Amino acid sequence: MSLAGTSQPSGSVPGQAGGFHRVAFTGKASEYFGIWIVNVLLTIITLGIYSAWAKVRRNRYFFGNTVLLGRAFEYHARGLQILIGRLIVLGGLIVLNVIAALVPILVLLPTIVILVALPWLVAKGLRFSARVTSYRNVRFDFVGTAGGAFKAFILGGLLAVITLGILSPLASRWVGRYIGSNLRYGGKAFDTDPRLGPLYKSWLLSLLIALVGLAIIAFLVVANLPTILAAIETPGAVTPEQQVPLITSLVAGYVVLFVTFAVAGLFYRAGVRNITWSATTFDGQHRLMSDLSRRRYTWIAVTNVIVTLITFGLMRPWAAVRMARYTWEHTGVTFAGDVGELFARIEAQGSAIGAEFMDLEGFDFGF
Amino acid sequence: MASEERAIAGGDWHPAGSSRSVAARLVDRSGRLAAVPEAGGTPLAEAPADRAEISARVGSIPRRITFSDGSVFETWDNDGIDRYLAANGRGGAGLVHWLEQFRLRLVVVVLAAFVLGGAIYRFGVPLLVEVAVRVTPPVVPELMAKGTMEALDATTFSPTRLPEAKRREIADGFARIAALSPRGEAGYTLNFRDGGAIGPNAFALPDGTLVVTDQLVTLAGDDTEMIVGVLAHEIGHVELEHSLRQLYRAAGMAGLIMLIAGDVGSGVEDVLVQGGGLVALSYSRAAEAAADRRSVELMAKAGFDPAAIARFFTLLEEKLGDRSGTSMLSTHPGTPERRKEILDYARILSGQSAPDRQ
Repeated sequence: MSLAGTSQPSGSVPGQAGGFHRVAFTGKASEYFGIWIVNVLLTIITLGIYSAWAKVRRNRYFFGNTVLLGRAFEYHARGLQILIGRLIVLGGLIVLNVIAALVPILVLLPTIVILVALPWLVAKGLRFSARVTSYRNVRFDFVGTAGGAFKAFILGGLLAVITLGILSPLASRWVGRYIGSNLRYGGKAFDTDPRLGPLYKSWLLSLLIALVGLAIIAFLVVANLPTILAAIETPGAVTPEQQVPLITSLVAGYVVLFVTFAVAGLFYRAGVRNITWSATTFDGQHRLMSDLSRRRYTWIAVTNVIVTLITFGLMRPWAAVRMARYTWEHTGVTFAGDVGELFARIEAQGSAIGAEFMDLEGFDFGF
Repeated sequence: MASEERAIAGGDWHPAGSSRSVAARLVDRSGRLAAVPEAGGTPLAEAPADRAEISARVGSIPRRITFSDGSVFETWDNDGIDRYLAANGRGGAGLVHWLEQFRLRLVVVVLAAFVLGGAIYRFGVPLLVEVAVRVTPPVVPELMAKGTMEALDATTFSPTRLPEAKRREIADGFARIAALSPRGEAGYTLNFRDGGAIGPNAFALPDGTLVVTDQLVTLAGDDTEMIVGVLAHEIGHVELEHSLRQLYRAAGMAGLIMLIAGDVGSGVEDVLVQGGGLVALSYSRAAEAAADRRSVELMAKAGFDPAAIARFFTLLEEKLGDRSGTSMLSTHPGTPERRKEILDYARILSGQSAPDRQ
């Protein structure tokens, strides 16, 4: 392989000048197709039990093909570990839902317990994801608390929903700070503080897209207004013939709503990724960068879903590799100083090694 | 020494827990694995072959060889590692990787995945639902019903204001059809309630508790037989265990989508959830139609007008102006369509039972 380690004097990493380096993605759709379909088949045959091992193979493939400076990231979780974590979470959910089904007064119990446990599970899940990820033989770590997760995900999400999305950029900032500033690599900290100004600028475009969708729906309502008014005034006056355009409009409106909000969300997600990654530093001096084109990112995501659906899922591996390649190739790091020297100094810090066995996978959060 | 060495692959060696790396070669020294610096010199790490852990092959991502001292040798040369494993009787790249390769045999895997996936959806989930319904102890629907009744009584319902005679008349008719159900008369309890916000309605809880609202009885006027027809429909829901079945089917579908979630991507997952909702609605419409047919059967057996419930739908059309057609977005079939189906079924049933009497 061209990426194999080159001959260098022993005792040091290949000396590489600092400066800007892009991440590369070396995964291939044809190669991932086999991994993917075997994952699906074995998951079906084992009635779902294999899905934990399938996740390990999938993540090992994607992490192992994400390459920075000629070296790949690695995913270290074990299938059994993930299976146990899932069984615990699933068992808890079943018990809660059975209680709620038997005692309808407690119908909100699962929601309340999940809301209370969620920040804790999110923090645990992020720590698990970080600790099973390594680069150059050193693991990442995550030191965020449940309180921080509560603020970033629950409080932020709630504010965003209550204000109909107006405070979404604030929530995005909290999430970016929570993840980006609690991440550690070899005992050294990442730090990020995405600014509200750029986040709102990015948000404005998504707002416009959502407004276009709402305008189309308003148009559909106005077009059907005579029929709707007639139906309200004298129930039963609407004949089955009149219902056809009404139902067609209803379905069209639903599809428009689904599509425009998905597109607005994708534009926003790409914008937030650019802003958050580009505001992130490692060890106070090395700068991360993301330069996705929001239009291209949205195009890839939307066409991925369409192609996957019309091929009954068979093109999903192609879609997944296509998206990973696009996002990773638009990600980079600007190293200050000599890269070889930097990596010669980084050592794993005690707490992160092996400690993932104490963690639950909890919820799935990738980096 | 050098003559016993066989090179396996070139790569990088890391001390335990360090990102510092040394360009190195992995060599087989008569049964022991060792990482030797590319530049020559003493081995960086060495271990008996069975004590060094070699990571499983996934695509062509780098392989890790972890020595017992925690140091790691990493290489992109998957083929070199596989050759070494195969030569030492350790199975090469392994069965899973063999299956995964993009060869003609992968077509078999694809077909098997589609056939088995389809079979799980078509037969596996319904079978699991049946098994779950069978093994659910009767105490579960009882507790569900008890809780629902208490919650509704506390929030929406108030005691019935129907005259005693009217209630007795309905209860007598109800007893006649309930006795013909496999659960028997004791399997059901009929409750009268003022429906409040719920309005004219009748419903069954999974343990056989039936509720009919004052508003429905008033809507029916003098036609008690029609109310009994509606109650027969609710008995149908209880007999066919529709509530439990719907609950388990929803859980089964959610489980199926969750299992493949990681492999289909969040966009496709959203579409599947929406599609699952439409499928659930079609089951709900099928359940209503089945309960309608059960009503016709029970009413015919008890000597009532088998199509009594059809009069209820006529009433709905006239008084509430409900002429909606069936669409893929509704929980119940369209009212005119239901009425027609009931009348047809009643006709078929009487046609078939006629020869029996001769």
